[in-house]
Amino acid sequence: MNFPILHIPVVGDGMVIALDAVLHVCISHGLAIGLMTMIVIFQTLAWRGKGQFWASAARSLLGPLVVVTTSVGAVTGVGIWFLTGSLAPEGIGALIHLFFWPWFIEWFAFTAEVILLLCYYYLWNRLITEKPGVLAAIGWGYVAASVFSGILISGILGFMLTPQGWPWGRTFAEAYFNPTFVPQCFLRLGGGMAIGALLALAWTAWRFKAPAEQRGRVLRLCGLALLFSLPITAAASYIYFSRVPQTYLTHWKFAVATSYMTQLPDFLPAANTAAVLVLVLAGLAALARSPWASRLLCIPALLLSLCMVMEFERVREFIRGPYLVPGYMQANQIPLVEAQALAATGQPLLPRLHWINSSGTLPPARQAARALFAANCGVCHTESGINGIDQRLAGRSADGIDAMLGITERLAPYMTPFVGSEQERALLTEYLFQLSSDYARRAAPAAREK
Amino acid sequence: MQQWTDVFLTMPISPGWMQGLLFVTFGLHLLFVLLMLGTALLTLVFFLRDILRQPGEPQPWNEKAAHTHTGLKSLAVVLGVAPLLLMQVSHSNAFFTVTGFFSYAWLAVIPLLVAAFLLFDVFAHKMNVGAWPAFACGLLGVAALLTVPAVFTGALALMERQEAWADFAAHGVNAGTEWLTHWALRYLHVVGAALALGAAFHLFFSAKNNLEKTARLRRWLMGALAVQAVIGLALLATVLPQLSVPVLALIGFGALALGAAFWILRPEFPAADYRLLALLPIIFVSMLLARQLMQNQAMAPAQAEALAQRAERAKNLSPFSQKALDAFSVKLRTVYDNGDTIYDGACEPCHGASGRGDGAEAARLRIPAADLAAMRANRDYVYEMVRDGTPGTGMPYFRMYDRAKLESLLDTMCKRFSMFAATPPPARDIAPASLEVWTSACAKCHAANGGVSEVGRGMRPPPPDFRRGSVTHERALAIITGGYPGTGMQGYRNLPEAVRDDLAIISNSFRISPPQQ
Repeated sequence: MNFPILHIPVVGDGMVIALDAVLHVCISHGLAIGLMTMIVIFQTLAWRGKGQFWASAARSLLGPLVVVTTSVGAVTGVGIWFLTGSLAPEGIGALIHLFFWPWFIEWFAFTAEVILLLCYYYLWNRLITEKPGVLAAIGWGYVAASVFSGILISGILGFMLTPQGWPWGRTFAEAYFNPTFVPQCFLRLGGGMAIGALLALAWTAWRFKAPAEQRGRVLRLCGLALLFSLPITAAASYIYFSRVPQTYLTHWKFAVATSYMTQLPDFLPAANTAAVLVLVLAGLAALARSPWASRLLCIPALLLSLCMVMEFERVREFIRGPYLVPGYMQANQIPLVEAQALAATGQPLLPRLHWINSSGTLPPARQAARALFAANCGVCHTESGINGIDQRLAGRSADGIDAMLGITERLAPYMTPFVGSEQERALLTEYLFQLSSDYARRAAPAAREK
Repeated sequence: MQQWTDVFLTMPISPGWMQGLLFVTFGLHLLFVLLMLGTALLTLVFFLRDILRQPGEPQPWNEKAAHTHTGLKSLAVVLGVAPLLLMQVSHSNAFFTVTGFFSYAWLAVIPLLVAAFLLFDVFAHKMNVGAWPAFACGLLGVAALLTVPAVFTGALALMERQEAWADFAAHGVNAGTEWLTHWALRYLHVVGAALALGAAFHLFFSAKNNLEKTARLRRWLMGALAVQAVIGLALLATVLPQLSVPVLALIGFGALALGAAFWILRPEFPAADYRLLALLPIIFVSMLLARQLMQNQAMAPAQAEALAQRAERAKNLSPFSQKALDAFSVKLRTVYDNGDTIYDGACEPCHGASGRGDGAEAARLRIPAADLAAMRANRDYVYEMVRDGTPGTGMPYFRMYDRAKLESLLDTMCKRFSMFAATPPPARDIAPASLEVWTSACAKCHAANGGVSEVGRGMRPPPPDFRRGSVTHERALAIITGGYPGTGMQGYRNLPEAVRDDLAIISNSFRISPPQQ
């Protein structure tokens, strides 16, 4: 490990990245692709003489969309670079070296997207009456750029779960044109379109001030767009997951439901079915031009679509489990080959860490143990907090922890193997036992009070 | 055998092209950052001046100028992605090391920018609705915005000083930080450039037919350029050893252009002289080029050294490449969706293939792993043990497997070890003396009814519940005689063999359950 190891205490790296990434995905897919496409469709209808209320609806949605996408969407997107660069520099560094050109080309698409969006926004008042066709062309140009950007990024995201032949062949084509590239592309575009249609539907049902007939027409179009997007998203999801290796996919329930709810076998399938049902009903209500039913259904539908985005991203990130880059690098940024070499030769890990956090007044052994924890486990576990190792190991004996350290990847296949010498294993065991004992001591009075 | 390669060693483009792209993209990014920051600062100051002098009056010019911020900030953010990408390839060592040191300050840029942009949007859109609340939002937004260049200039300054990394990593910024002055001046230089370029932008873009604003912007531009010259000279003094001939030539060229700009900006000249549109880019490009030359000069040796170390490591690791890939292939083929695989992967290391508790890792356990082959227990009892683990032992919980997987695991345990078979009925009656021993000694922990007593519930690990689980007579006798190491169960080898035999029968008499599948 060449760079300083940073992990977010209490909340954990995963949760911090998820908060940023889910917000970004919702905005970049739902607003920047989905809602903006709806706006351009509305404006195009106005241009084609279907009524000026379409332009009025589009303009009302455009202002907030520009503010949110350029303030929150763009910054959270760049934020993913900042977060991954700090929390997983070896991983993101490897990906950038591998996918430099797709990312660089995507940057052009992203820049074109922003320029066209700004043109659409700033030139609206000037063009909407004089040259609405030009405005629509700018809008459709934006949609094309955003779709292109979505396509480019899908290859990289797909690689992170299904690199297929790349670990052996190491060619760019094997890496980029991987089996989940195309389905993920349709999934993201379809899902983004569904959320965009749903947002337009919710705004129309609740806020659009227009005669009932006009509002009904807008609602109908939103319902149609939603019902059109849902089967595409569903089919793409099915194909996507059918191409994910079973060794990863089998852990999807635990990825979402975590420890306790995994024991309720029907919970997740039922919850997902209910969510899809609510989305379909919201689409049907809008198709039937019913404002009250649309109002009633759009709120749970929006919340559930947010949950489904979170679910998808969580599953995608979690199930690839022990790997940051399958076949190349473990989740804790140790290359597979380095883990193998150290295990074979019994070499210690600590001398291979260029930087060790020595802040504080910890004795050397504890400091070393802490560095071992950060290097081996810290990417998924906090010391104490979300997925805290203290709680996970509470009640286990020191010898039990020692035994578990030797078989982490067999115990739970999405865990990375311990990397380090026998002496380092003993150091880490003692450290973990101390953490878990402290937790058990803190938890005991609370349990007695209950 | 395949040669293992560190992906960091595969450069997507040549260093020359990389530097060229970095210069162009960073220049574009910086230009829009400066325009955005300058716009934010100037519109806020102009707005404050105007509401103090003409309270309650609409402010169309300020509103128009502030509205440009949305476009400028959007372009600043999007254009920043490319240099970020390029830096992570061309200067990966310095970039990832220093951003790791800056850690939370670096990450704080995300919420700070979101807050700054949203607050400034409120300012721009609401300044004619409620002046003071809008001003408060604008002030907070600009304050948040001003922190971001502090982080970036600090990180870049540190990236260029490899010799200071260890000290910064250990102590952070402190009074003894030698490059603190450089950092502070660099930050002020950025803010000054933002004011100069922001003033120039609005001079030509927003204040075309507004003489009052034009005059004010000219003064701001003149003042900002003058301050830039002073800060620039001081900044130059902090990097004297790094100055080379090309760098000095570029700075000299920029200084000449600056002098010409001063000449044009003198009071008797027309309002917005378009020659400034040529001179200001010349100043910007020459200074930026000088900065990049110094940056490359400072970072290149450390980058080359880091890559050489990576190449050496890759060479040393190469012999293990095939083995690592083979292990990965096995892992890809191993699907933990059935009891057999889960047992062989997760349980076998301790409990052993035969279930006798003799797996390879069992040797590390102070409390021996349970002899599953000797257990006869209720399925739900074993399920709970597997699900929750056993406190006080090395037995972990297995809630990380969903219910279907755990049920499959139970099926495997049933199939392999007949764990859920019925406990055989007692072979004979027991002696009253043995029952007395059970009541007076064993029931202290196990409870008279075969459950777990109050005392037993406080033990780690707690004793088993004999009503739901038992072991073979031979295993029970062995435990009663020798105890269970590491637990509260001591050996009772001093008791007569007949009594021990009776106690084994008693312990297995509580579970009256039909065989389960």
